[in-house]
Amino acid sequence: MATSSTTSRSLTLRRVESVDAATTVQHVDQLDEETLEAFYRALEGGRSLAATGTDLELGTVVVATDYYRVEPR
Amino acid sequence: MTEYVIIGDGISGSSAAETLREEDPESSITVITDEGEPLYNRILIKEHAKGKLPEAPISIHDEGWYEERDIDLSLNTHVTGLDTDAKTIHTHEGADISYDKLLIATGGTPTQLPVDNSDADGIHHFWTFQDARKIRESADAADEGVIVGAGLLGIDFAAVCGAQGVEGKYLMRGDRWWRYALSNEGAEIMHEGMREKGVEPVFDSGVDHFETDDDGRVVAAVDPNGDRYECDFAGVAIGLTFNTEFLGDIGLEQENGILVDEYMQTNLEDVYAAGDITRFHDVLLGERAQNGSWGSAKEQGRVAGVNMAADDEAEGFQWVSSYSITHFDFPFLSFGHPTLGDDYAERKYSDTEWRRVAFKDGKIVGGVLIGDLSPQSKFKQLMREQRVVADQKEVLLEQTVDLDNLAPPQEQ
Ligand SMILES: Cc1cc2nc3c(=O)[nH]c(=O)nc-3n(C[C@H](O)[C@H](O)[C@H](O)COP(=O)(O)OP(=O)(O)OC[C@H]3O[C@@H](n4cnc5c(N)ncnc54)[C@H](O)[C@@H]3O)c2cc1C
Repeated sequence: MATSSTTSRSLTLRRVESVDAATTVQHVDQLDEETLEAFYRALEGGRSLAATGTDLELGTVVVATDYYRVEPR
Repeated sequence: MTEYVIIGDGISGSSAAETLREEDPESSITVITDEGEPLYNRILIKEHAKGKLPEAPISIHDEGWYEERDIDLSLNTHVTGLDTDAKTIHTHEGADISYDKLLIATGGTPTQLPVDNSDADGIHHFWTFQDARKIRESADAADEGVIVGAGLLGIDFAAVCGAQGVEGKYLMRGDRWWRYALSNEGAEIMHEGMREKGVEPVFDSGVDHFETDDDGRVVAAVDPNGDRYECDFAGVAIGLTFNTEFLGDIGLEQENGILVDEYMQTNLEDVYAAGDITRFHDVLLGERAQNGSWGSAKEQGRVAGVNMAADDEAEGFQWVSSYSITHFDFPFLSFGHPTLGDDYAERKYSDTEWRRVAFKDGKIVGGVLIGDLSPQSKFKQLMREQRVVADQKEVLLEQTVDLDNLAPPQEQ
């Protein structure tokens, strides 16, 4: 079957306690408006984030009220 | 080949340099900064000061980034003067650098409190990565802290105290935090957030003077009422002084910032300005305004770069800025110009949810959202559309804002 996680276009946010030196970190005020909207919607509803239309990269940690890592769904 | 010179390697200067290289590949680009490191993430240094984030992720560009783009970067170089007739700038080392087009992106420096001992050891201002490193170390060793400056930057010091286990007293002049944008109801949510972090707001206070020990270290702050607050750490964030001193008397129009139009042009030919330092023509507001936020500074740098390269008014700056506070359990977002306007609407929804929308001539010009940020993009959309909606406050204050419930826009 032709399924692969790399083609998955759905991301999720996982709360993390700390980040290491190699991690890419962004403050929530760096997100463009659409991404910001999707980010908060995902946080509130525990919903997934569409990878298209947002400028979030896998593995990036976003600093908001907590630190959130962008992970594959 | 056009020679572009950019003073300042903050986000506005750096974003202009990147844009110029894209728009004008054959040009010569020089970026000059008096800091000792290339662009870093100024809005993340507070996380370092809190002791939560290591240094590496805060860096944005290394020197290789400039080399790859053939951008000449001068670190540790303070610009001391500008001659617009000769089209040269002077540096502290006595060098003259010539330009065809110049961008001033020098931002501001935190204002020092005009009181006794305000430069004592243990008293901090917060703007650079170097400041953050010192604050982190000092707060880590401290037991009691005092914070002055009831605005967006002061609250970062409160967060540092909270994260570093420093018992804080936040001395405010009025009866609440950020009184220009928040009513008591909204501010009280923020006060409660501070208390939960171990920082006590003290109202109708401030600092009359600091006391020091024999080694010149701060030991207490005394407020105008004579109340004394012991501290071995203090954070001062009472405002910014714009870095325009080096400009001298060259006829550049200024008004607590450099005046620019929406194309980031100053009144002097071939001299542009971008970022915190500008007082720009805000096309949405219909008057001059100032932004102090990362996204806006980045966009102004980009727009300046586009227009400098085009040698034309190719693109205007149109932007709704936003600024978040991320230190508490609830989110906080200020957007647009929440302290301007001639009318407002506000409502409290719960112990952690509050909203204010500010209007000018019936149109939204800014606001503050605490706890529930869901209407932010709808409000920003209404701002961009410049729709008259102040007569429909109920719709805007509904917990879930539905723009379809607004009366259709009137023909202008
Ligand atoms: C602690 C802190 C927290 C913040 N938090 C947020 C936030 O959460 N969200 C948000 O949106 N914004 C935040 N901001 C504001 C945001 O960082 C600024 O609006 C933005 O960085 C401004 O960028 P700029 O390029 O205009 O100026 P700056 O970043 O100040 O850059 C100006 C540069 O020019 C250099 N310079 C000045 N004079 C000279 C000279 N004569 N010669 C050579 N170089 C010179 C300076 O050293 C500096 O490097 C925060 C700011 C601070 C300090």
